[in-house]
Amino acid sequence: MYAYYMRLALKSFRRNPGLTALMLGAIALGIAVCIMTMTVYHAMSGNPIWWKNDRLYAVTMDNWDPSRPEDRQHPDLPPPQLTYKDAVYLLGSHIPERKVVMYARQSVLTGGVAQRKPLPVTTRVTTSDFFAMFDVPFLYGSGWDAGGDQNATPVIVLSKQQNEKLFGGINSVGRTIRWDDREFRVVGVLDAWSPTPRFYDLNDGAFSTPDDVYIPFGWTRPLDQYPNGGSTDCWKPETVNTFADFLGSDCVWTQMWVELPNKASRERMQGLMDGYWAEQRKAGRFPRPRNNRLTNVGQWLKDQGVVQNDNRMLVGIAFAFLAVCLLNTVGILLAKFLNAAAIAGVRRALGASRRQIFIQHLIEVGMLAAAGAVLGLGFGALGLWGVHALYVTKNEVDTVDVANLTGGYQQLTHFDAISVFWAVMLAMVSALAAGLYPAWRIGRVAPAVYLKSQ
Amino acid sequence: MSLDIRPVVSSLLRNRTGAVLVAFQIAIALAVLVNAVFIVHQRIEKMSRPTRIDDQNLFGVRTAEFTNRFNYDASVHEDLAYLRGLPDVVSASVSNSVPLGISGSATTVWTQPDNKGERAQINYFAMDEQGLNTLGVRLIAGRGFRAEEILPPVTPTNTADFVPQLIVTQAVAEVLFPHQNALGKTVYDSWGKPSTITGIIDNMIGTGWSGYEALDHVAIMPRMPRMYGFDYLVRTKPGRRDAIMRTVEEHLSTSNPDRVIQYVRSVEYFKKLLYRDDRNMGVFLITVTALLLAVASLGIFGLATFNVSARTKQIGTRRAVGARRADIVRYFMVENGLITTAGIVVGCALALAIGYWLSLQYQLPRLDLYYLVGGVLALWLIGQLAAWQPARKASAVSPSVATRTV
Repeated sequence: MYAYYMRLALKSFRRNPGLTALMLGAIALGIAVCIMTMTVYHAMSGNPIWWKNDRLYAVTMDNWDPSRPEDRQHPDLPPPQLTYKDAVYLLGSHIPERKVVMYARQSVLTGGVAQRKPLPVTTRVTTSDFFAMFDVPFLYGSGWDAGGDQNATPVIVLSKQQNEKLFGGINSVGRTIRWDDREFRVVGVLDAWSPTPRFYDLNDGAFSTPDDVYIPFGWTRPLDQYPNGGSTDCWKPETVNTFADFLGSDCVWTQMWVELPNKASRERMQGLMDGYWAEQRKAGRFPRPRNNRLTNVGQWLKDQGVVQNDNRMLVGIAFAFLAVCLLNTVGILLAKFLNAAAIAGVRRALGASRRQIFIQHLIEVGMLAAAGAVLGLGFGALGLWGVHALYVTKNEVDTVDVANLTGGYQQLTHFDAISVFWAVMLAMVSALAAGLYPAWRIGRVAPAVYLKSQ
Repeated sequence: MSLDIRPVVSSLLRNRTGAVLVAFQIAIALAVLVNAVFIVHQRIEKMSRPTRIDDQNLFGVRTAEFTNRFNYDASVHEDLAYLRGLPDVVSASVSNSVPLGISGSATTVWTQPDNKGERAQINYFAMDEQGLNTLGVRLIAGRGFRAEEILPPVTPTNTADFVPQLIVTQAVAEVLFPHQNALGKTVYDSWGKPSTITGIIDNMIGTGWSGYEALDHVAIMPRMPRMYGFDYLVRTKPGRRDAIMRTVEEHLSTSNPDRVIQYVRSVEYFKKLLYRDDRNMGVFLITVTALLLAVASLGIFGLATFNVSARTKQIGTRRAVGARRADIVRYFMVENGLITTAGIVVGCALALAIGYWLSLQYQLPRLDLYYLVGGVLALWLIGQLAAWQPARKASAVSPSVATRTV
């Protein structure tokens, strides 16, 4: 029976090819626009480490100016980074299962076998838990042990991309390389890893690529160099005559994350921060009201405004667009079905029940919806390609990877499985909803009228 | 001339569904069109803000030293001599950052010591005596810096040092000294160290921090940059920028083994990057709105075509009893006009509601009513145009149709 209904549907499509094409186009366009905006929105709002959302917390403390907040647009938020001294104090705690204090530097690599020219790179100076905490995959080797958190151990971890540039992609563990003219031993090479948005450090934009190389946090003091990457923000007029003065200053420039497996450990960590805060306040620091936070990744992305208002607006507009497309489809279906009411009338007179007529027409709509979804995915893919092209900003002289600046937008070149699922669901549900009323209407047709010769 | 609305209305009321569907499409289309055009217009205004520097002919060279052998003074001297000696280079300077770029520095100044008086946050550029000429920013009052006034770079042992002279934009001057002449006045940094305003420049856009409180709160400091890395800024003769960029890249990347060139990029490139999201939003809004209008007008066209074909016999009858072709056309145009008008009425309410909601939610300015008027006219016109062809087709129905049985 269903095969027969499908044949009838095909016949009906052939009867009005123009109208069919119009409907198909409208459904497909509506779906395409929705899917495009949702993919972009999803990429921006997605939590790239959702499976640890109840374990990972950004640590922030409001050490700012008593007379004004760090971010005037969000006066209730503490600065997104910590001072070196606060971060190092909290790093000493054994409450978190894992803890990371880190910052970014610009540096230069030399001595790779496959790379003749010195290579400018971004370096993450971080504690050893970074890799395990953020579930960073390794291709070769591993990170370093906790000794590197205090000592300047000359070990380095390379990203997959940099390993390809420097060593042609071979297992380079055990090789040496010069980092800012100091000798380092490669202990690990990462596999492809690009969390989008780059939640753990949003300084260079949510869509920036992960860092090129990683070295132990213990290097901070011996390097004796002011941070030249990321962001350094100071409010207090302090006398800074040495790098040690800087490390003791109220400037914020390090990011801190902790992994707390349960509520009890979270409360103890909060207690530790508040206790430290109270003690420091007695000594004259922390002039603002108490605002020490442990923020999970989802909330962090919201607080830091990663999803832009534009993206929300676009999703709204996409759904308005889909609504227009569907209204259009309802109108055309209604007209088309009623136009062919005579056929339905004859079938009713020959014994087809209202239900059967209804189902027959719904199957016609279903086929249309399925075709619309497939076409919509095609259009959507084209559209995404266009979106991606919009985000690539060409430079006149390609000294370095311009890809660096397009960063996570690379992710927008393809749909993820979730988007495809939603596309098909959206197409089916909405097109079927659009077909419900016309199919019902045609089922109500009184057969007798159409049996007359007129 | 009567428009004969009564019969059109009563016929519409008998077959409401199609008309209601089209009216809703028009309503949504109007609401989206008006708000989208409004938003796009704001973005275009933002993107066309003048930078008040010679942004088309400027480029930056970011260098990074990485060995202890690197000699800053010698290297900068050699590089600047090379850059300034190139044909078609108008001027070149060191700088701590590239204007409109993503990284830069800011500090706070006050009109009285001890953090009192008027306060301004300034995005500063540490440059040498060719700084103003390299930027191409207009000097409004005072003078630029002289070579002997340029201080050596800040080192870790004197980070708190201020500069004795400062050039500020008019915007900064107005914030610090409202209704006064700021030239020659003294400002203080957070440590209470004084500096004299020796020049006032046009309101140039500084670093491209999109969220910064005021992009034109900029100051120029007479100091060599170094501590957080530094750039060379080069201004070329019109049309020569790209060629010179290539030459410079080639030369500087091999001229000194103790440093690398991180990038050679035009200010125009950074400008594109700064406005990328606004431009993309504009492109997206225009595309979706255009598609939406196309779909809606196809809907109008489809409904009118269906109505015409469903009423062929009635049209023939009207023609047979004396209606002229023009009457038939008018009938369908009036019908379309009524549907469109109903849609527009609902659409106006929807457009205003969305505009109001957007202004609350995203701190946008309130929707300008001119946009609504324009949107109403546009949709009315689109509606009539979409119905025109089916109406013409209807008028071509022969009166003889009335006499046939089917």
